Amino acid sequence: MRLLVRLLLLCAVPVVVAQDRLGDLRDAGEGYRQVEPGFALEFPRDHGPHPDFRIEWWYLTANLKDRDGRHWGLQWTLFRQALSPNPVTEGWHSNQMWMAHAAITTPEGHFHEQRFARGGIGQAGVTHIAEQGYFNAWLDDWEWRSTAAALFPARLGFTIGEREITLQLQATGELVRNGVDGYSQKSAQGQASYYYSQPHIHVRGSITDGVQSTALEGQGWLDREWSSQPLAANQQGWDWFSLHLDDGYKLMVYQLRHDDGAHWLSGNWINPRGGASRLERAGIELELLARREIDTGDNRRREVPLEWRVALPEHDRRLRIRPLYDQQWMDTTIPYWEGVVLVEDDAGRPAGVGYMELTGYD
Amino acid sequence: MNRRLSWVLKALLSHYWRHPWQTLFMLTGLVAGVGLWSAVQIINHHAEASYRDAQSLLGAQASHWIQSRRDEGVEPGVYIDLRRAGYRQLFPLIELQVSTPGGQTLDLIATDLMALPVSLLDEEEDSDDFSATWLDFVQPPYRAWVPETLAAELGLAEGEALALRDGRRLPPALYRANEQQGRRILLDIGAAQSLSGLQRLDYIAVGEITPEEQARLAALLPPELEMVENQQHLDLQQLTASLHTHLTAMSLLSFAVGLFIVFNAVRFSLWYRRSTLLNLRLMGCDTRLLIVAIGLETLGWSLLGSGLGFALGVLLAQLLLPGLGASLQSLYDAVVGVDLGVSPLTLLMAWSITLLGLTWALAWPLYRQLQRSSFEAARSATLLRDETDARRWLGWAALGLGLLALAWYPRIENATEGFAVLGVVLFAAAWSLPLVLALGLRLLSAVLPQRRLLLRWMVSDGWTQMPSLRSAMMALLLALTANLGVGMLVDSFRDAFVGWLELRQSADIYLRNPNVDYAELRRRGLAEGWLADSHSRIGVTTRWRERPTLVRGIDPRAPDSLQLPLSRWQGDSPAAALATWREQPGKVLINEQVMFLAGVEVGESIRIGDGAAARAYEVVGVFYDYGNPYFQFYLPVAVVASQFSHYYSRGIALWLDPADQQAGARAEAAMLTLGAGPGDWISQAEIRHLSVGIFDRTFAITASMNALTMLVAAIALLASLLAILHERMQQFAQWRALGLRQVEILLLIATPLLVFCTIAWLVSIPLGTLLSWILIDKLNVVSFGWSMPLLWDLTPAVWLAGLVLLICAATLLLVSLRWRRQMPQALAQLGEIV
Repeated sequence: MRLLVRLLLLCAVPVVVAQDRLGDLRDAGEGYRQVEPGFALEFPRDHGPHPDFRIEWWYLTANLKDRDGRHWGLQWTLFRQALSPNPVTEGWHSNQMWMAHAAITTPEGHFHEQRFARGGIGQAGVTHIAEQGYFNAWLDDWEWRSTAAALFPARLGFTIGEREITLQLQATGELVRNGVDGYSQKSAQGQASYYYSQPHIHVRGSITDGVQSTALEGQGWLDREWSSQPLAANQQGWDWFSLHLDDGYKLMVYQLRHDDGAHWLSGNWINPRGGASRLERAGIELELLARREIDTGDNRRREVPLEWRVALPEHDRRLRIRPLYDQQWMDTTIPYWEGVVLVEDDAGRPAGVGYMELTGYD
Repeated sequence: MNRRLSWVLKALLSHYWRHPWQTLFMLTGLVAGVGLWSAVQIINHHAEASYRDAQSLLGAQASHWIQSRRDEGVEPGVYIDLRRAGYRQLFPLIELQVSTPGGQTLDLIATDLMALPVSLLDEEEDSDDFSATWLDFVQPPYRAWVPETLAAELGLAEGEALALRDGRRLPPALYRANEQQGRRILLDIGAAQSLSGLQRLDYIAVGEITPEEQARLAALLPPELEMVENQQHLDLQQLTASLHTHLTAMSLLSFAVGLFIVFNAVRFSLWYRRSTLLNLRLMGCDTRLLIVAIGLETLGWSLLGSGLGFALGVLLAQLLLPGLGASLQSLYDAVVGVDLGVSPLTLLMAWSITLLGLTWALAWPLYRQLQRSSFEAARSATLLRDETDARRWLGWAALGLGLLALAWYPRIENATEGFAVLGVVLFAAAWSLPLVLALGLRLLSAVLPQRRLLLRWMVSDGWTQMPSLRSAMMALLLALTANLGVGMLVDSFRDAFVGWLELRQSADIYLRNPNVDYAELRRRGLAEGWLADSHSRIGVTTRWRERPTLVRGIDPRAPDSLQLPLSRWQGDSPAAALATWREQPGKVLINEQVMFLAGVEVGESIRIGDGAAARAYEVVGVFYDYGNPYFQFYLPVAVVASQFSHYYSRGIALWLDPADQQAGARAEAAMLTLGAGPGDWISQAEIRHLSVGIFDRTFAITASMNALTMLVAAIALLASLLAILHERMQQFAQWRALGLRQVEILLLIATPLLVFCTIAWLVSIPLGTLLSWILIDKLNVVSFGWSMPLLWDLTPAVWLAGLVLLICAATLLLVSLRWRRQMPQALAQLGEIV
């Protein structure tokens, strides 16, 4: 459900810095195709773009380690947004727009970059595997390209400033359809998205900073989501977690914060064999443990909820989540916090790693 | 000491409270002079800042351009490939020129806001509005972001789609201007492609790039493209330097005219304050204290004058900038920002020159008065002697200046020197004017019939009025001379320009579209019978002696080549020189800019081309090339094609068959069939209309400055007459009491005024001609490299005579109104005295 964020960002492109940053996401998306329950996701078709929906993203995070066992992390996201519900045309008249975010968390700190491109001219895009024979998602020289007629195996290459990142991605498990067969409801009023994940990705590669190259290895998580109206009018933002636990389980959980405090909670509990159990509000206990003030790089300091406890009573799990570094703020057009988190069990023992995304705190 | 100084200051300054009119004139002189000077300085600084910004485009740095070697544009695919290769500092650009039904040329610039390395977003803006604005900009039907001042000129309402001369329409307008947009209209690339019907980009701008990246990028370019350094900021500074010197010179003239008013007011204040100074000194004020007080008075006036003058300057600059900006864009491709930047340095300079001027006009005469013995200073005889002395000294100074100008004139090498000489000439003339006026009075007195006593008296009163009117007459002379001289220059230039246009643009249609097969168009035209002749030209843009240079390949047998107007030639006649150029290899024609600015003469051999590929050519002729700031060489088309591998087409000129009534329509049909779009060609009438429009707009600022200078001179005249009224009211009252009628007294005031004005006007005619001749013979040549014959015409002088009469009438009317108010009191005072 990092979705919204993305949307957000998308909608923002490259323009908006608003008092109500989520305004566009609450737009009913009239004229665009709407998300309906009962739609059957089909692959590889749905790996490709859905330009008749307003917003969409390909969102990869990875928790990596170097040879010394130090934690690293990366995020690479490509967002698509339709600027109008008109039929899609090619060339400079295209109504499609693209935005990409990339960030790395390194022992030296957190670095990020944001890019924009218009659709229809080849500067950015995502290909349909059926047409191309491989998967390709790119914006300028940032590129994800598979070597087969599937999302994986693939090579991901991008740069952030002087740092050059090259990764090999290999799926080690099945895709997971979130919500009900990929229909992911976001509010009681009916806002929803199509949402699937690939939480089983083996990642290997290197980051070169112009002087030295660091070999990295770890596990990644891909989220794919598209919609035309993902947010309800009374939703302020969200807190989203994707966790790789040391015992092989995976957890995705998010809450959409409501004005009245009755937040919308949802998630998926994925066992090591790939089986997933949908989590609903009753099955998730999400508790904020600590807020801390961080420097957000725009001459401001912001207070962000950085430590959490999540409990899944049905699965007898109690996990404590804290950031690897507090300073993982994305000072992008729409600012948000996204970064590597460490997971501990209720006895305080290391239990895994993951990514956390916090929006609506600006 | 402070207390004493305060009392002395109060005593000195009380004069200004007692004579508010004179205070107002003093202030007016200062404010007008400083205002006009500051306006030009502000514009010049603003333009120079804009030129420095030419290293950037729309706020993004553009250190290099990627462009076609043959002016054929850049395939969008190349741009995408380079972006995908990681060159994110690139952004695409399309530039279009269109014209309105009224003949105004509009420059359009289009880019992709998402690729621009900077955001054109204003974070202060309301986000919802801006989202909509931005989305509208990049999506059909698009929006044209039009600077508000330009929209106002065009009468374009927001949301309105501007209709163009050829029937096309721009996207709906939105009032908005970004950094370095200047007077250009900003469009999305998609909108520009729809408008032009072409998919190609004009060029790609390269943002910040390291030398290593630059080398790698250059290696990636396909052979038809090249990467060139953006030297526009240097070129613009060089090319426009003379224009800005011209403006500065005009502003200095205005400042000088303004100072004459100050002189006038000071003379009046001296006259009135003789007794104050005398009393102060008799009361024991030492000279040092008085000097400090005078210094403070001068400082106060300088602060007030420069502050208000600067404010007026900002206002004037805002009024003058759009016209000048349009001219700079038309002539030099210089984009001048719409929003005026004001530098504190300009304010400081305004204050400095005001202080300098006031020290000269106010402090020095006051100080001199102080130096005299107390009683001597107060005697009228001294005043009279002062006047004679002043005339004599001014005469000697004028003679000195005249000799200086004469010695300097042949050595003038640049515009600054030229204007300095011009200034010297003008001041020489102005300072000799009192002598001429005195001579005129003497002559007139000698020729007047002995029996016409009243008339003789009226003329003789000129001697009394002379001290008061002297400065105003000098200001008037300068203003008249500037008006006449610059007017004559503009008329001569316009005449030469229009005549030249007729010869140079003799074809009926000019077409430029690299995708059209010109050979095929010619073949069709001749076969179908609508075409009488054609001229397909090619060109290369290069640098020669560090200046942008155009090497044109032209068809030597085309109609316009055969009658190319030459200003210098080798051999017996222009036709013979052209024949030599046509028939003998290794000959070149150069434009006047090459001759005057680079010092190349007919018969000289010059090397044209880059590096080892350069070849030697002998100059056989020099052609007029008005309005072009660049160097230009004409070579036969075959020579350019063989020497330069990357030449590009400069379009084709078509002469239609005059016997074919339908030739125009048939030509248009043929051009459309061969792929030309409606905006790709322009008719002879349109191109002349546009060219003359640009010319007139360029000189509009000159007309405005001249008008303002005239206004300042008129104020000087009014100030002088009111001073005369003040000074002599008692005398007039006595005359009135002796039985003279009001109209007779007014005639007494008016006659010398008219005599002096007539003399000033008469002097201004030869002086204006001299000014014009210097401007044409020297300044235009060293500044722009354009020569032309001087067109002498008396009509403007006659108009100016009418204007002077009007000014005299208006000032006399004001004086008579004041006279009516003051006379009863003066008569009453007379009664008391008696």
